[in-house]
Amino acid sequence: MQTTNASTDPHGQRDIIVCNNLEKHYSRGGETVRVLESINLTLTRGAFVALMGPSGSGKTTLLNLFAGIDRPTAGALHVDGQDLTQLSRAQLAQWRATSVGYVFQLYHLVPVLTAYENVELPLYLHELSRAERHARVSEALESVGIADRHAHYPRQLSGGQEQRVAIARAIVTRPALLLADEPTGDLDRVAAASIMQLLSKLHRERGQTIVMVTHDSSTATHAQRLVNLDKGQLVEDMAVRV
Amino acid sequence: MKHTQSIMGMASLAWRGMRRRPTRSALVLAGVAVAVFLFCTVDTMRSAVERATQKSAGETALIVYRQNRFCPFTSQLPQSYENAIGKIPGVASVTPVKIVVSNCRASLDVVTFRGVPPQEFAATHSGSASAQDMQSWLSRGDSALIGRELAQRRRLKAGDRFTAAGVDAFVAGIIESDLPQDQSSAFVHLAFLQEQAKRGGTGGVVTQFDVRVKDPAQMDAVAQAIDERFAKDQSPTTTRAETAHVARAATDVIVLVGFAQALGIAALVAVFALVANAIVLSMRSREKEISVLQTLGFRGIHLAILVLLEALMLGGVGGLIGAGASYAVVALARTAMTMEGVSIAVAPSLAIALIGVAIAIALSVLAGIVPAIIAARQTIVAGFRS
Repeated sequence: MQTTNASTDPHGQRDIIVCNNLEKHYSRGGETVRVLESINLTLTRGAFVALMGPSGSGKTTLLNLFAGIDRPTAGALHVDGQDLTQLSRAQLAQWRATSVGYVFQLYHLVPVLTAYENVELPLYLHELSRAERHARVSEALESVGIADRHAHYPRQLSGGQEQRVAIARAIVTRPALLLADEPTGDLDRVAAASIMQLLSKLHRERGQTIVMVTHDSSTATHAQRLVNLDKGQLVEDMAVRV
Repeated sequence: MKHTQSIMGMASLAWRGMRRRPTRSALVLAGVAVAVFLFCTVDTMRSAVERATQKSAGETALIVYRQNRFCPFTSQLPQSYENAIGKIPGVASVTPVKIVVSNCRASLDVVTFRGVPPQEFAATHSGSASAQDMQSWLSRGDSALIGRELAQRRRLKAGDRFTAAGVDAFVAGIIESDLPQDQSSAFVHLAFLQEQAKRGGTGGVVTQFDVRVKDPAQMDAVAQAIDERFAKDQSPTTTRAETAHVARAATDVIVLVGFAQALGIAALVAVFALVANAIVLSMRSREKEISVLQTLGFRGIHLAILVLLEALMLGGVGGLIGAGASYAVVALARTAMTMEGVSIAVAPSLAIALIGVAIAIALSVLAGIVPAIIAARQTIVAGFRS
């Protein structure tokens, strides 16, 4: 088992995620549920990391903390040079708009918007002209190989195609960090392989930092680094390939 | 620019959200439209009654009616009173008028014949009709000049003959007037109408006298003087300002319109409930979508705007449909509420239509406030768990 010492320099260029003694507790029925306990982890910029573990191990919770959509109960968490524990609700939202792209297991596209409009949606939070938005959306759709389906609504797309649109939506703002929560969990084997190839390509060609939650070991082989959680604790952290 | 863009994105999303469930949206829009239609139509009637019964500072018109009589059929005054009234100090002019109506009760389609002295009428209404029509009317004893509203309601034009209330008349022309009483009446020669009506002998009996006073400040004094002059006569009179005369005749209608107005306000409360219900249901089924938007970086204020825009669109579109329909119906129907021979013209009002739309929007936005706050305060994780 290999563990990682957390960096003490939260603003370092090399490290994109630094967490020290990170904890997340829930209160349920008067009882405290410890979802994450004393997580110390540092992820370098440009890495492709797979978070693994059995159901209930806390991997999605950890991903949500990285995304700033949930707050830690205790500990320090710096993502892309930002101390997330110090940000207000509105500041966190603004930070998410610029720094993080998130891919859901169930895609979560807005059903009344076309593929193009779904990808365009996050760009409304950026100071871009209509032409600039169009260029960004076109490029994102092109890079995920779904440009020819830009006018289709989610219900008119297959699961794999929907996930491609979701990935385009996540990368269109050019975030420093791409987070994916079981991105192939709802897909058949062929579509899953295709999505993993796409994520690998984004990592390889763009140097995109990717943190992906998965429970599928074959999916995890696309990552460079494997972080294993169990019962809220980090139990394994190792390089898969160099 | 960023804020404008994000609101634009929210507006697009709100519009599509409304179209996402066409049946639900259509039902809400229909509900809002019906409520606003009801409110605008009732308020148009209220406005018409108010216009016809509110006394103005410059009012100079008095109506002399038979005391304790409330219908043109029973108000019978000797035409000879004309001279006596004309001699009362402060009186500028007196016009004996014979009124015959097709229906004495309150109705939306009453034909009111007003028998007037031809030369006097031609002098006071010279600009109301074309010279040719006026000449035609003067030259023919059985002719009538028809008010614009009545002509459109009965589809009458110059050269037609029409019969109502037992009176058969030739249409000499159409007269234009801003006065409700003129718009809904058929003006005929006094002697002709007295002959046709055959009540109280052939001639010499009129329904009322239209009196003009020289000084508006003398209205009450002149009215009192007229009534005192005939108090001990065989046909005592009651003299009121024209607006007061209309208000008395329209008492039942005023009460009804007041009741209908309460219904109109209740309809607006229904708008509030309808939109609130639609928004709450819509938001409940979109908790995940709200969490997705939050994940993308949309803030609470954006989500609140999204909800409020959706409410605004429901209220705005529904309000426009309802107010537009009300305006069109009132304009096409060209109704005049007539009771006891007194007419109140119901005319479409753009101001009331705009007020109806504004109220619908305001109530809808108000209905969206609580759901907007709930959406803005929703936590992302809770939304995904729902």
